[in-house]
Amino acid sequence: MKPLPISRIGIFLFVVAIVSMTGALSHAQTNTSKNAVPKAAATPGSTKPAATKTPASLAKPASAVTGSMDAKALGSKTAPITIEVFEDFQCPACRNFYETSLKQVIDNYVTPGKVYLIHRDFPLDMHPYSHQAARLANAAADLGQFETVERALFDNQDKWSANGKIEEAIASTVSAAQMKKILDYQAAHINDINASIERDRAMGAQRNVSQTPSIYVTSRGKTEALPGGGVDYKLLKQYLDYLLRQ
Amino acid sequence: MATSSDRSEPSSRPRAWPRVLLAVGRIALGLIFLFAAYSKLYFGGAWHMRDYHFFFAMAIDSYKMLPLSIVEWMARILPWFELLLGVLLIAGAGLRWVGSITSALLLVFIGAMARAKILGLEINCGCFGNNEKLGTVTLIRDSSLLVLALAVTIGAFLIKRRRVTVSS
Repeated sequence: MKPLPISRIGIFLFVVAIVSMTGALSHAQTNTSKNAVPKAAATPGSTKPAATKTPASLAKPASAVTGSMDAKALGSKTAPITIEVFEDFQCPACRNFYETSLKQVIDNYVTPGKVYLIHRDFPLDMHPYSHQAARLANAAADLGQFETVERALFDNQDKWSANGKIEEAIASTVSAAQMKKILDYQAAHINDINASIERDRAMGAQRNVSQTPSIYVTSRGKTEALPGGGVDYKLLKQYLDYLLRQ
Repeated sequence: MATSSDRSEPSSRPRAWPRVLLAVGRIALGLIFLFAAYSKLYFGGAWHMRDYHFFFAMAIDSYKMLPLSIVEWMARILPWFELLLGVLLIAGAGLRWVGSITSALLLVFIGAMARAKILGLEINCGCFGNNEKLGTVTLIRDSSLLVLALAVTIGAFLIKRRRVTVSS
């Protein structure tokens, strides 16, 4: 009987072990150097409105600090849980997460004061209208309209992503006067707004955000990153309920 | 006069180095499985013995393959199962069957990852912790682990077969 090729198997094993170990090591390397930090975008271009002198009616509300936590947040600051979501308004996964999970989180946890929900801008360069949408959302935030505009942007993402008519999408949910106010405010405070977006992006980069949505949950002073790309509401609910029981 | 057993002795004496390589292969695979289990239980700078399953369930669910009840069950069990496989591989206990189970498990993982990649899902791998994006590199790495697991399994079967042949 022909002898078994154990020696060949041995050589094969050895080679494969080396390949696998190299793979595992390169994985570890990837994880530690995972600061694939999105480069802070230069103020995006052609659609940017020119900065103008601020008329008195467009001055920032006394409480408004562009891009402050309060302006782009929902709920009570004293809530036991804080959720931060790094989002891109043009990202389909963000839309999906907003429509299937966040809306329910807002209704069931933010409104009753259990969760403080903060939006962080993380517009990706791969999406041509993300920055423009983020600027409008920030302007609306300073005018106390963030929740409405965020909803309008995600609800109508398909439309404005295809044709770039973001203002139309927002105009369908706010009055004409309010829309004009948002546009004028954006024009008057464009530098502050861009700086605010960049602050959020820098914060995301610091936390190694590499995809949207990226979700961070803080409870009892401890912040945990949830798996990126969105989370099913039922699983998120289970986790939030667990944190609230602690 | 030489007996038949005398004649066969030089060729049937098992060489040491295939066994050494098999040991290297199974220990490497075992360590990788231990690391996979560890990374699911320890992350964000702390142990998560009581809440690891929430995070892992979210990672499994992102593959959009299984109903939530099974996802939750898998999330609780899988890290401990990986830990057990890692320990058994390192110990070399029941190597043929442990190797087979490990290969089957890796095959399932790779199938799920390939499906997610084909569907264009932008998700995390969930292989070694919660924040590793699924991509070509993760697929290649897990495929090389599968090859290693198959090699360990085949090696274990062959050595056992040879031992049986020699003793008979």
